[in-house]
Amino acid sequence: MADATENFFEELSHRGHEPLLEKATGTVRFDLVNGKRSERWLVEIEKGDIAVSRKQASADLVIRSDKALFDRVATGRENAFAALLRGEVDAEGKVQLMMQFQRLFPGPPRRRSR
Amino acid sequence: MSDGLVKILDGNTFVVSDERGDIEASLTDPTGLFSFDTRFLSRWVLTVDGQRLNPLSVDDLQYFETRFFLVPGTGTVYVDSKLSVIRQRAVGDGFHEELTILNHDEGPVNLTVRVEAGCDFADLFEVKDALKKKGSYSTKVEKKRLTLGYHRKTFGRETVISASEPAKVDANGLTFTVRIKPHGEWTTDLDVVTAVGAGRRYVRPKYERGEKRARPSMDVDLDRWLRDAPKLESDSEQLRHTYHRSLVDLAALRFSPPIAGGKSLPAAGLPWFMTMFGRDSIFTSLQALPFAPKLAATTISTLGDWQGTRSDDFRDEDPGRILHELRYGEMTAFEERPHSPYYGCADATPLYVVLLDEYERWTGDRHLVREYEQEARAALNWIDEYADLMSNGYIWYERRNEKTGLENQCWKDSWDSISYRDGRLPGFPRATCELQGYAYDAKVRGARLARDIWKDDDLADRLEQQAADLKRRFNRDYWVEGGGYFALALDTEGKQVDALSSNNGHLLWSGIVDKSKAKAVAGHLLGPRLFSGWGVRTLAEGEGRYNPIGYHVGTVWPFDNSFIAWGLRRYGFKEEAARIASGILDAAAFFEGRLPEAFGGYDRPVTKYPVQYPTACSPQAWSTGAPLLLLRTMLGLEPHGDHLIVDPALPSDIGRLELLDIPGRWGRIDAFGRGLMELGKPKGSRRRSR
Repeated sequence: MADATENFFEELSHRGHEPLLEKATGTVRFDLVNGKRSERWLVEIEKGDIAVSRKQASADLVIRSDKALFDRVATGRENAFAALLRGEVDAEGKVQLMMQFQRLFPGPPRRRSR
Repeated sequence: MSDGLVKILDGNTFVVSDERGDIEASLTDPTGLFSFDTRFLSRWVLTVDGQRLNPLSVDDLQYFETRFFLVPGTGTVYVDSKLSVIRQRAVGDGFHEELTILNHDEGPVNLTVRVEAGCDFADLFEVKDALKKKGSYSTKVEKKRLTLGYHRKTFGRETVISASEPAKVDANGLTFTVRIKPHGEWTTDLDVVTAVGAGRRYVRPKYERGEKRARPSMDVDLDRWLRDAPKLESDSEQLRHTYHRSLVDLAALRFSPPIAGGKSLPAAGLPWFMTMFGRDSIFTSLQALPFAPKLAATTISTLGDWQGTRSDDFRDEDPGRILHELRYGEMTAFEERPHSPYYGCADATPLYVVLLDEYERWTGDRHLVREYEQEARAALNWIDEYADLMSNGYIWYERRNEKTGLENQCWKDSWDSISYRDGRLPGFPRATCELQGYAYDAKVRGARLARDIWKDDDLADRLEQQAADLKRRFNRDYWVEGGGYFALALDTEGKQVDALSSNNGHLLWSGIVDKSKAKAVAGHLLGPRLFSGWGVRTLAEGEGRYNPIGYHVGTVWPFDNSFIAWGLRRYGFKEEAARIASGILDAAAFFEGRLPEAFGGYDRPVTKYPVQYPTACSPQAWSTGAPLLLLRTMLGLEPHGDHLIVDPALPSDIGRLELLDIPGRWGRIDAFGRGLMELGKPKGSRRRSR
């Protein structure tokens, strides 16, 4: 099975522009811990224009989480805001960016549709 | 206060104590220090030499500050004490208490002063529903500090209690051994700081121990808030008082969620609802527009930023849907409740567009309308794509979260609020009437925004056509022939849920009512079955489920009435609007200017005073906003281009009424009116602008 986190960020990178982020400008870094390894993704947002990289850089907002948890967030199996309230996801910096970015996560897999 | 509880608050942090300043909460009892939907202190009891204290008086200095004057000893009628105790408490991110003991004796005294502290870290939902905790507690005793903690997996909350004077700290509190000189005094600062765990780190409190005031800036802030609002001059002292009370309470109910970047919007009410509610924030922002338009701007941006983007059955979320309620507590965190956020409401989404348009009409802030174009379009799209569950051109609601979602997703959200005349309840989905009115208004106003600001004539044409079609169908399908009013809802078979209700007033407000039907509707609203003498009942007397103290089936809601009055004015019923305004403002006098959420629907001559609904929240934002909207209604304030039309229609007992410096796209304008309205003889109006 392909890596859900990688899929999420690659898909985001291909989009290049995301209307839901048109009011957002800033950088978000995701530090995802996988055992002893830590994987980083940097998302640079400029009024909806998006650039995704693996650069090591400081950011306006740093999100820290377990890699496995983020895989579930990236596929809609876990809700990012509830995880933040539980303390499973940690957000440091410009919290508003977190609220704007969470709109991009998919909803849970549908059992029925209308 | 009427319930014997003293409440102070700052944003979503608040303290509810008894008149001694003590907190002794049980699981089901709403006293304590609360922040972010969690109780951070459930026990806070002061004793001097083992004795509880007796309250002499309580000064509500400001909404965020109280002073308790106490003497030792309880249970006696006669108080003769050589000691006085003063607790001055200010709420911030936690609270700060200055404890002072005065010795009035000619000799020195040696005292043992103890503050008992404890915490159950209950989620507000647990307090409401009396549920048991699933995590574990901890206590840390240090030299000058007691830390109470609660942890469940990665979820952590702590309360840190400290004192400025030397104290012996144990797991249950702090003890001070005090000697006070003749006619001397002793004082200590006590700080209670709430800490929200974010993984391993804790968010640092906003004030440190030792400051005189928790938030010295709050005073300044309140002064500025009052200065920015229009000034009210009137012969009616009661009206002046109610206006001042409303402004101060509205200031208290402001709330700055992290996402709003330090700006604030109205939370719903104390104590249960110090959080973001889509519907309540929108209604309150509408009420406050002529007085504090910035609230609307924050409501628009914050609710827009949280707008639904995906389909999520647990949260009843759809793309474009405006949230119902956001919570931060443990049960939300662990998804035992869906409020992260919960989207199950059917009215906030069309009302979002209504607010955006009304905001621009008052302020001329086209920038915000452009900035939130995408969200407004998504909201308009939600009405057609996601809310029309029966595919027949109406808004319907039915929860997808069948365990913890809301059954009734309209403002009357209790289980029995929607009924037929004979008392039967319809099945789901339901299409309540006011939702169709809001949808109509959203389309009409959306069309204006599309044409004037977004420069999209196609969308404007389409919305106008849809609105006209909706109005035509609605006046056919919901009109109760022979009754002369609109049905409360349609059921799934297309039959009318035919009870007579206050919702008819919201229909006038929305503009969906055919002119030819408006007179009959107004007649019902002011008729004996709906009008109690204080205001319009939620459900008419004589209906199967009518109960004068039933939450949505007979009580009178000040917020509801303020919109009904606005609706009556919209259709030219000035006198009827003034009668409602007069009744509700008279009622406010019985609550010291602070209208409760609801009061009993008894006939005014029967009880002589309005009977408060038992568990109503107070202050509550949209009740606080009601006098403001009633003032707007009575003065007939209506923006028209860059002008403000003033067309007063006031009851005579108000006398002279002046509202000075009304902010808007015109700069500042004064409105004047004189109460000339008696027994249906409206006359007299003038206006002046500068």
